[in-house]
Amino acid sequence: MKKFLCLIMISLLLLSLAACSDSGSTAPDTTEPAAEAVSDNGDTGSSADSDGVDVDLTAMSSTMVYSEVLNMQQKPEDYLGKTVKMAGPFNVTEIGENRYFACIIADATACCSTGIEFVLKGDYSYPDDYPEANTEITVVGTFNTYMEGTSKYLQLKDSVMEF
Amino acid sequence: MTDIFSTLAFYMSKPFVTNALIVGVLIALCSSLLGVTLVLKRYSFIGDGLSHVAFGAMAIAAVIRLTNDMPLVLTVTVVCAVLLLRMGKNAKIKGDAAVAMISVGALAVGYLLMNIFNTGSSNLSGDVCSTLFGSTSILTLSTFDVWMCVILSVLVVLFFVLFYNKIFSVTFDESFARATGQRAGLYNLLIAIVIAVIIVVSMQLVGSLLISALVIFPALSAMRVFKSFKSVTICAAVVSVFCALLGLLTSILAGTPVGSTIVAADIVVFMIFALIGAVTKRSA
Repeated sequence: MKKFLCLIMISLLLLSLAACSDSGSTAPDTTEPAAEAVSDNGDTGSSADSDGVDVDLTAMSSTMVYSEVLNMQQKPEDYLGKTVKMAGPFNVTEIGENRYFACIIADATACCSTGIEFVLKGDYSYPDDYPEANTEITVVGTFNTYMEGTSKYLQLKDSVMEF
Repeated sequence: MTDIFSTLAFYMSKPFVTNALIVGVLIALCSSLLGVTLVLKRYSFIGDGLSHVAFGAMAIAAVIRLTNDMPLVLTVTVVCAVLLLRMGKNAKIKGDAAVAMISVGALAVGYLLMNIFNTGSSNLSGDVCSTLFGSTSILTLSTFDVWMCVILSVLVVLFFVLFYNKIFSVTFDESFARATGQRAGLYNLLIAIVIAVIIVVSMQLVGSLLISALVIFPALSAMRVFKSFKSVTICAAVVSVFCALLGLLTSILAGTPVGSTIVAADIVVFMIFALIGAVTKRSA
C-alpha cells in the first residue's frame, strides 16, 4: 500500500513539473473583434494576434490582467510601442486644468485596483463624446510613457474607445 | 480542454508567469521541509507570528523609505525567530503566548506606523491587503526577487540535507540530543534562522496571513498516511510543490486570488490524505 502511495506521489510531482515545461507562445483567440482603427497603430510585435493587438487584456483572467498591468508599471520599457487592448469601468480625473481619462482594472482579491490612462485618437470633447463614469469601456491604443514633474506615467495614445 | 491548454501555454510564454512558477515551487519545497519539524516541535503557529513580524518590519522600511526592504525585514524576523525558538523555554512568557503576543503586536504596530506616517502610497488599504493576502505579488517579481529566492532556497535545501540527522534528533528528543553531546542549542538557532528566511520569502507567494497553511498543511497531510520522519518529509515536499503549482495555475486560469487558491488546494489534499489514512488504518 505504501509503495502504491509513493508511486501516486511521484506521478503527481511529475505531472506538476510537466505543467511547468510547456511554454508555448500561442496567443489565445480573441472572441471579440478589435476596434476599427487598431490596424492603423503601426507596431505589431511577434506576439500580435490577427487584429494587430500585442497585449490583449480582455482575453485574460482577472489575476493575469492585474499582474500584466503591474508589470507594465514596473517595466514600462518592455511594452513601449505595443498595441494594448483593455476593458473596464471608465474613470475621469480632473487635476487643475488637466483632465485624465482612464480604464480601471481591479485585482482578484478585490482590495486593489489600478488604472491605465488613455488619450483618444482624433478630436473628442468631454463630456459629449465620453460615457458616464463607471461605464464599461473597451480601449485599444499604443503603449506610451511620459514624464510629468519628476514622475513617469503610463498611457495608451492614439486610442480607440468602444462603450 | 484544448482551449485551457492553449490559454495556459499563452500565459506560460510570459516571463513573469515562469518566474512565479519557479519561485512558487522553491518556496513550497522549502516551507514543507521545515514544516515537518515545526509541527512535531509543536510550533505550527510560529509561521503566522513571524510573518506578522515581517509585516511590521516592512512597515518600518516603508516609513523610513527604504528602496530595498529585504535586509531589514530578514534581520528583524530572524531576531524574533531566535528569541521565540531559543529563549522561549527560559522566558517568563512562554510558547504560544509569546508567539501570539509578538504576532498581534507586530501586526498592529505595522499598520499603525503605515497610517501615522504617510508612506506615499495613495492606496494604503490596497497595499496592506496585498501584503497580508499576497494578492498578485508572486506574479510581479523583479529579477532580483527571483535570484534572491533561488539563492535562499538552495541554502535552505542544503541546510536540510547536510544537517538532516541533527534536525531529526533535535526535533524528536532535544534532551536526548543534548545528553549525547550534540549541540542542540546551535541547531535550534540554525532552524530558527532558516524558518525566518522561509517566512520572509514565502510572504510573496501567499501573503503574511496565509503562510502558516504553507508550512503546516503539507506536513499534516503527509502524517495522515506516512509514519517515519523521512517518508513524511518527502511526501510533504511532493504535496507542497504539487499544491503550489495547482493553486498557481488555477488562479491564473480562473482569475482567483493566488494565495487563497494555493491554500484551498492544500486543504483539499489534506482531506484526501486524511481519507486515505483512515482507510489504510482500518484495512491494516
